[in-house]
Amino acid sequence: MNAFSAGLTRFIPLLLGALLLAAYTLLPVVIQPERGATTPYVLLENRANNELELPTAGLQLVAMAALGALCLGVWNVLAPQFGRAIAVLTALCGGLALTYFIIFARDYAAEEATYLASLGPGFWLMLATAGLLLAQVLLPRPRPPARYAIMRVLGNQEGVLLLTVLAMTIAVGIANPRFVAERNLSDIIMTTSYIAIAAIGMSMVIITGNIDISVGSLMGLLALISGRVSLLTDWASATFGLATPEARGLVIAVSWVAPVLCGALVGALIGFAVTYLKIPSIVVTLGMRSIIFGGMVVWTNGERVVDMPPEYFLAQMRPLNIPMPIYFMVVLVIVAALWMRYSAAARALYAVGGNAEAARLSGLNERRVIMQAFILNGVFAGVASLLYATQFQTIQPTPQPNVELAIISAAVVGGVSILGGTGTVIGAMLAALLLNAIRSALVFINVSPFWVQAVQGVLILLTVLADIFRRRRQST
Amino acid sequence: MFMAEQAASSRPNTPPPGGLRQFLLSQEGVLLLLGVAMVLLLATRSDKFLTVDNLLNQGRLLAEIGLVALPMTYIIITGGIDLSVGSIFGLCAVVLGFSWQVVGLPLELAIVVTLITGALAGLVNGLFIVRVGVPPLIMTLATLAFYRGLAQGISEARSVTGYPEWFFGMGQGDFLGVPQQLWVLALATLVAGIILGLTTFGRALYAIGNNETAARFSGLPVDRYKLLIYTFSGLMSGVAGYIFVSRVTTTRSDMGSGLELDAIAAVVLGGTSILGGSGSILGTIIGVILIQLLKNGLALTGVTTDATTVVIGVVLIAAILFNTFIQRRRAQ
Repeated sequence: MNAFSAGLTRFIPLLLGALLLAAYTLLPVVIQPERGATTPYVLLENRANNELELPTAGLQLVAMAALGALCLGVWNVLAPQFGRAIAVLTALCGGLALTYFIIFARDYAAEEATYLASLGPGFWLMLATAGLLLAQVLLPRPRPPARYAIMRVLGNQEGVLLLTVLAMTIAVGIANPRFVAERNLSDIIMTTSYIAIAAIGMSMVIITGNIDISVGSLMGLLALISGRVSLLTDWASATFGLATPEARGLVIAVSWVAPVLCGALVGALIGFAVTYLKIPSIVVTLGMRSIIFGGMVVWTNGERVVDMPPEYFLAQMRPLNIPMPIYFMVVLVIVAALWMRYSAAARALYAVGGNAEAARLSGLNERRVIMQAFILNGVFAGVASLLYATQFQTIQPTPQPNVELAIISAAVVGGVSILGGTGTVIGAMLAALLLNAIRSALVFINVSPFWVQAVQGVLILLTVLADIFRRRRQST
Repeated sequence: MFMAEQAASSRPNTPPPGGLRQFLLSQEGVLLLLGVAMVLLLATRSDKFLTVDNLLNQGRLLAEIGLVALPMTYIIITGGIDLSVGSIFGLCAVVLGFSWQVVGLPLELAIVVTLITGALAGLVNGLFIVRVGVPPLIMTLATLAFYRGLAQGISEARSVTGYPEWFFGMGQGDFLGVPQQLWVLALATLVAGIILGLTTFGRALYAIGNNETAARFSGLPVDRYKLLIYTFSGLMSGVAGYIFVSRVTTTRSDMGSGLELDAIAAVVLGGTSILGGSGSILGTIIGVILIQLLKNGLALTGVTTDATTVVIGVVLIAAILFNTFIQRRRAQ
């Protein structure tokens, strides 16, 4: 690359960002001067107050993308050594603007479509600029020294996920401020929490090179067990005369611990079948899935569990005004992450998943390690099901559909390799958060909820592809 | 396991391959015995079970799973897996309904479009697995969500009904006294069995499943074959989706949820190793039939569907356990 093109590359993000911003702010005025000068306001003002009096809130996404690209462009000029990272972020801005133009303006909000149509060539200019912002990522750039923190962040799955979650929250929050309202955010985290907790256990199982597709059914069963035990408070007080609050508290405590213990038991059973009976885990858990599912419906006769005692609802408690599941998620993820990183027992999980033969030769008991992973998976499934069971006033007699899909997806998107040996639980938590936040975000920018799953599918694929390409590059 | 089998067959005192004893000790033989025993037992419990009418009707119900399980056998033999078949099934059902009613294609053309959609969906799986190197489990997990999402997005929870009378022929009509879809399944089984057992393509699938690197170095077109079987899987899911719509006379986007697990269960029950390298079409078809008869027979004797689910889970694990036990005995 010669000096001239290198110099040009250095200014391209800035130029494109400026162009998009200019098009966004100036063109409406230049092209249709009869509308009057709104220039100073258009950036900050919600275009609901625009001259057409149309609610075009989503357009602000384009303004944000333009501003973002502009700032990144300035940064690129000042610090070209970050060129690659900046190029990726700038492309994200372009992608954001494009997404808005292509999907939403065309068929969702008729008012915005009208407004954009009234811009005529200005619309096409914005569209083309956004496309160029996306395309500039393909320009050749010098490989940066690896010591910059930003490259390290972009170099691992957790960093990418965190940035994506933040970028999405900010972007959607600007388009529709109700998305970032405290209530909605805590809703998202609440629904994420039990998926994330179950994903911790799933990560451990997948890291050892196994899989558990029965975890959804198991969680349904454990929730029922927990609920049924809590119903015993009245029975216990009647039978043993345990009417004191302490005794009631004891029964409630048992109902909280029961799913965790039962989960560990089922996990041990699966682990036993996988390690000692040598049945591949996918087959064992496929069988367990039908056994648990059917057994559960037979046991409950398809009846919901209701009328749990008021003290039972752990997930509804809000110490310090923060919902309980958030504490559980944060504490468990931190503990598990530290454990996975620093304890010998957890490093054995990676060793067995990475190379079972080598692990065996270095004296690890492979069976015990895999057994341990499945038991822990059962424990985390137990905690997750407890949070799920105590969230609402009723417990359904059937497992939530596709919950194992959500859990496995979270683990995989979080960077846990299905081939075993790599991955972290923080990644799994962030992925669970992202998959759930996307569901909510699409609703807030008025995408039909019917498309949510398709978007999630694409997202799973994209993150997995990113992971594969990154590994390929690191290994060469 | 492959090594063990090789070691066993090189021993001088093991009986020569073939022969009745060999067959009875194979997974297919065991299953067949189990199936016959089960049929006899269930026949004594309900006089409606062992009637031609009932059995043919069961044939109608198992055709869709059977059609999906055939390519699944190929895929599992190569050491892969396809979790997206249920979603392709649903997507194809929706494409069929909407390309006819909403887009306005003639129904014949809509059927063709449906089958092409299925094949394309499978091809996309295959391309990513082969060209990019995404593990099959992950790729098809992603498309399990994606294709189902497409089906939901296209249909927006609306169902399509009001198909013309002739359309129901495939799902409800008979040909020579046997349900039409059973002919399709029989033909597909025959072709799939011959291809797997008697062609170099079939042998190559086993080779890929046993040792992909070795297969590659022996000059087998591994990538092309894999692409083919995933496309075939998508196509057959499309065919099954079409037959299903024709049978139940309506189209909904949630059709075929969980079909992938039923198909995998049947394949695994039929003796195909989930680790790849061994298995047969005969075993798969016996597995499919066994599960359906078990469901039907238990239902006729008054067992609830959910208890039947438990039984199928137990049978699945027990069959695999028995199989590994025999394999180990033979290896010793």
